[in-house]
Amino acid sequence: MATRTWIGKDVPRLEDPRLLTGRANYTDDVRLPGMAHAAVLRSPQAHARIVRIDTSRARALPGVFAVITGEDAKELSNPLPAFCAEPVVEYALAVDKVRYAGEAVAAVAAVDRYTAEDAAALIDVEYEALPVLTDPMEAMKPGAPKVHDNLPGNLVFEKTMSFGDVAGGFAAAHRVIRRRLRWHRASAQPLETAGAVCRFNPASGRMDVWSNTNMINYVGWLVAGTLKVAPSKLSINPMDVGGSFGSKHVLGKVIAIAAMLARRTGRAVKFMEDRVDNLTACENLACDRYYDVELAVAADGTFTGLRIKVVDDYGAYFQFGHGTHGNALAQATGPYRIPGFEYTVQCVLTNKCQQGVFRGAGSDANNFALERLVDAAAQELGLDRVEIRRRNFIQPDAFPFKMPAGNIYDSGDYPKVLDQALTMAGWNELRKMQAEARAQGRLVGIGLATAQQRSVYGPTEFWFWYDTPGLTSVPESVGLSLGPTGEFIVTMFSPFWGNSPETVVAQVLGEELGIDPATVTVTYEDSLHGLPSAGPGGSRMTVMLTGAVVGAARKLKEKMARIAAHLLEAAPEDIVFGAGGASVRGVPNKAVGYADLGLKAYWFKLDLPAGMESGLEARHTYDHPYLTPPSADRKDLGAFYPMMGHGAHIPVVEVNPETGQVRILRYVAVHDVGTIVNPRSLRGQIAGGIAQGIGMALYEQVLYDAGGQPLTASFMDYLLPTAQEVPRIEIGHVETPSPFTEYGVKGGGEGGRMIAPAALASAVEDALAPLGVTIDELPMTPERLATLVEAAVSHPAHIL
Amino acid sequence: MKRSASVIGLTVNGVRHELAVEPRRLLVDCLRDDLGLTGTHIGCEHGVCGTCTVLVDGETVRSCLMLAVQADGASITTVEGLAPDGALHPLQQAFREAQGLQCGFCTPGMLLLAWELLRDNASPSEAEIRAAISANLCRCTGYQGIVEAVQLAAERHAVPAAAAR
Amino acid sequence: MKPPPFEYAAPRKTDEALALLAQHGDRAKVLAGGQSLLPLLNFRLAQPEVLVDVNRVAELAYVRPSDGGLAIGALTRQHALECSEAIRARVPIVAEACRLIGHLPIRHRGTLGGSLAHADPASELPAVMVALEAELTASRVAGRRTLPADQFFTGIFTTALAPDELLTEVRVPGLPARTGGAFVEVARRAGDFALVGAAALVTLDDGGRVTRARLALCGAGPTPLRAREAERVLIGERPDGRVLDDAVEKMAAATDPPGDIHASAAFRKKLARHVGRRAIELAVRRAGGGS
Repeated sequence: MATRTWIGKDVPRLEDPRLLTGRANYTDDVRLPGMAHAAVLRSPQAHARIVRIDTSRARALPGVFAVITGEDAKELSNPLPAFCAEPVVEYALAVDKVRYAGEAVAAVAAVDRYTAEDAAALIDVEYEALPVLTDPMEAMKPGAPKVHDNLPGNLVFEKTMSFGDVAGGFAAAHRVIRRRLRWHRASAQPLETAGAVCRFNPASGRMDVWSNTNMINYVGWLVAGTLKVAPSKLSINPMDVGGSFGSKHVLGKVIAIAAMLARRTGRAVKFMEDRVDNLTACENLACDRYYDVELAVAADGTFTGLRIKVVDDYGAYFQFGHGTHGNALAQATGPYRIPGFEYTVQCVLTNKCQQGVFRGAGSDANNFALERLVDAAAQELGLDRVEIRRRNFIQPDAFPFKMPAGNIYDSGDYPKVLDQALTMAGWNELRKMQAEARAQGRLVGIGLATAQQRSVYGPTEFWFWYDTPGLTSVPESVGLSLGPTGEFIVTMFSPFWGNSPETVVAQVLGEELGIDPATVTVTYEDSLHGLPSAGPGGSRMTVMLTGAVVGAARKLKEKMARIAAHLLEAAPEDIVFGAGGASVRGVPNKAVGYADLGLKAYWFKLDLPAGMESGLEARHTYDHPYLTPPSADRKDLGAFYPMMGHGAHIPVVEVNPETGQVRILRYVAVHDVGTIVNPRSLRGQIAGGIAQGIGMALYEQVLYDAGGQPLTASFMDYLLPTAQEVPRIEIGHVETPSPFTEYGVKGGGEGGRMIAPAALASAVEDALAPLGVTIDELPMTPERLATLVEAAVSHPAHIL
Repeated sequence: MKRSASVIGLTVNGVRHELAVEPRRLLVDCLRDDLGLTGTHIGCEHGVCGTCTVLVDGETVRSCLMLAVQADGASITTVEGLAPDGALHPLQQAFREAQGLQCGFCTPGMLLLAWELLRDNASPSEAEIRAAISANLCRCTGYQGIVEAVQLAAERHAVPAAAAR
Repeated sequence: MKPPPFEYAAPRKTDEALALLAQHGDRAKVLAGGQSLLPLLNFRLAQPEVLVDVNRVAELAYVRPSDGGLAIGALTRQHALECSEAIRARVPIVAEACRLIGHLPIRHRGTLGGSLAHADPASELPAVMVALEAELTASRVAGRRTLPADQFFTGIFTTALAPDELLTEVRVPGLPARTGGAFVEVARRAGDFALVGAAALVTLDDGGRVTRARLALCGAGPTPLRAREAERVLIGERPDGRVLDDAVEKMAAATDPPGDIHASAAFRKKLARHVGRRAIELAVRRAGGGS
């Protein structure tokens, strides 16, 4: 392991001082002169034609500046940006019909939010009810009422992808393990809702936006299309973001609503979702899956094939496309040597709020499905759960490993991670403790999940399902300057989400130059001044920012070296950099400080080498370090998510058989995400991800009744775990560096949520093993578990 | 009997303010918009998430569940009152070192919960810390960093203990 | 989510508050701690024309000895109840139940009277007052009347209070010697409303037999459920084995719980058995009995 100065250290975060003192810059903190506030009227109906909207009483209310409906949206905007290939059209305000309860029907701009809500209550809407579809199995049938009249049906996409010799693998199997599994709809629910402030200048055609959106320097131009503004006239300013977890990509809805009202009123307009808005009508609910999965197993427990059939209930719109299935393909076979697999996906539209992406992005659900199969295989073959995994692991000498779909796993040491987890947990002692507990009639379970956590997505996962190619760029850029007084400034073009991008950037620059990260200043740029940058998502920022900073530092060092060499009468290749500045290798007293370098570069042109420009600035666009295209026949999808992390989780739980409640007694997690930049920061991401995984496993579900009415429209019903539901997490690390990234870093932001649900399902199933209960559904609510226990007790399926 | 604005007097972080508010105006909006103290945040407006937590007459309160008029005459502390000139209070310093925050949105509320806890209980157990901070939601940290921050702050006596009552 | 407009008054004396209620009748709603009413206002599920804020009626916050028991002012904060030495000494079940109400910031504001007048079937204090056979005083301009707790709660979020009446005091009788009390609930998360909760007060004689039992459930019906048949089963018996099983069954059988996404009616019935049994066992242990 290389010894490094700053990478690998618990450097205090650069972001913290403003956050700790309540002086951050969140979207709702923006105040502009004359700014109006918006509120939205939402449809109480899940599926209905809009017959008539009367806004006259609302417009007449004192303090109201404008009221707009879908009719205005057709005039003032274009449909929302879509990553899907199918012609699913969505406007920010419903046009002609509403497709889910909660869909925005009208928006008001008024002197304050109170008045805007008063006005919204005065808008009269007449609906003509249409049949409501809430069951994707019904909705996908030919002849079912259509959610979108312009589509052939509600089965908006369906495809089977097959890799390797699946038929052969199944034919050769000693046994086929089959499970039907249910993964319910969850919602990211960051504590800060989505919002935007927009201001339009009709004289210049410029729209200024302040929003907690993402991808401003990647697909900001798509938002321009929605707003009917030229991209060169759209300035989207990145804000401090109070959490996203995937739910704040693009945010076309909130931006378009604020922008349309800004045009209409001639004022700046702020629209912040309230919590009900976010719960019922956000752009980004998580996957809602029905799995029918099979694992083919040889007699010795070796996996010979995998079949995954999944129906995914997308809700009423499809703007994010089905990237969460491409995601799953990156690591569908997990950490195991499975020679072939088949993946059949059916994406169905229903009358619910739409999916987008939530931390884990579909790989969380796939990990759950695969690990249930592995536990089941162990159980059915009478093999130990640990041994069956060891037997099937991809071995440490097999990397880079090409999994059957073509994606690359860059590096890993799965046996080492597993061993560390088993040691930290004290596996054998746990089994003894469990035996004693069982003798007392207590239902204690030990869970195990060994699973992948890919990072750094390639955009091909959005289009390799189709024949026509699409986007192949997914870069991240930084600007870097050394000012005339010796201060380093790094400029980012993507927002802060609660991860630690400023700190990563400062630590990497510190490593490159030998300077203290605390001396680095980080700034941000808007969409008009930014370089290509896709922003946070897919656990990419650590890798991409590291690469961008290394690239920019290399450029800046090259110029600084030439200046220093010129000043010190040495050769540029003999110049080295350290905390104080540049010096000649081996002659430390022949040195020039950073401040002097800056001074010369900006103010003393005649002291610079001939032909050199003034200034000390560098910009670097770092492209995906290992992206290859899919083959024409799509039998090899190329490398699209190759920075492959891994983790092993061992939770210990106790189930109360009467109440169905689950208490987590211990939680051990060992993660391998390559070279760690900031250990404390990574531990925070892991703990936070596991907390969300606990939510998914035990508490969180977005529910609708048969009429499409949302049943979880407040925090009293959509349950986020508190500090009493999340235990202390014992975290261990293994570092197998990536051969493809700078410093060998990988992304680790999603792993907690990608692995914990599978691990907790395993633990609860282990707890209920004496009763022969299997866990096929998440979340494992008290009533679901109590019902399973009661059924097992009255109809024992096993004698143990 | 008033529906229109009435004048109230609040002392916030030691500074007295007089302002006119409608009776329905929530305390959190008064603090954020009328007084410009945007460190207190809005997360749910139905009393579950606690990002709006402030101290009113020394007690933690969800400011989304209080009308501004109800705070007439009260002494309020918001997060801005902990570090009036920018230098981190020892409690905030402890949060920084233990990384008891990521996105920062729940942080002002958590700081004030921690303040009240440590003022009234100088050496809380981990269970007591978790019970206290479970009043507020955090979606980023999984609470681990926050618990460690409060433990660190307790070790350092970062918050002066309450005088005996 | 902002409240709709309303007229507002903040009286400082009980008489003033009563005069306002007499004047406005059912146009008015009383604002006490606000931990239940403010969310309803923010959701615009409640749209009262007049809000009578009683938080400044300081004379209604007190805990005083009275006839061997306690007289508690309706405006006493839940946190004050939790910390009150008098409550802990004479009716610790009240403090125990208060600790389960939400979280501390909620209890700093929430009041005894507010919780009782709001009459949420899932809330703890109504069931505790029914078990304690508390007497509730409703005051109006014309005078006062006293209602036993089990006549105060008439339906979901509904009490016997007339629009011009204010709940001003709760009297809790003293408990006989060798009485143990317990409040046990099941909730989805710490601090959430109970799915079902049980209050048990059990008095034992020297031989460990039950001489008096009071059992009440929350979350088990539209109002707090006094489980009289279950109580009768326990009287004169040692509260264990088949006697306890029988009492628990009768308790569950009497429930008519609601169903929602957190627990169906059938599951709440099952949970009623669980919390009922735990509450009785704990109360018995605290009374000095049990194995």
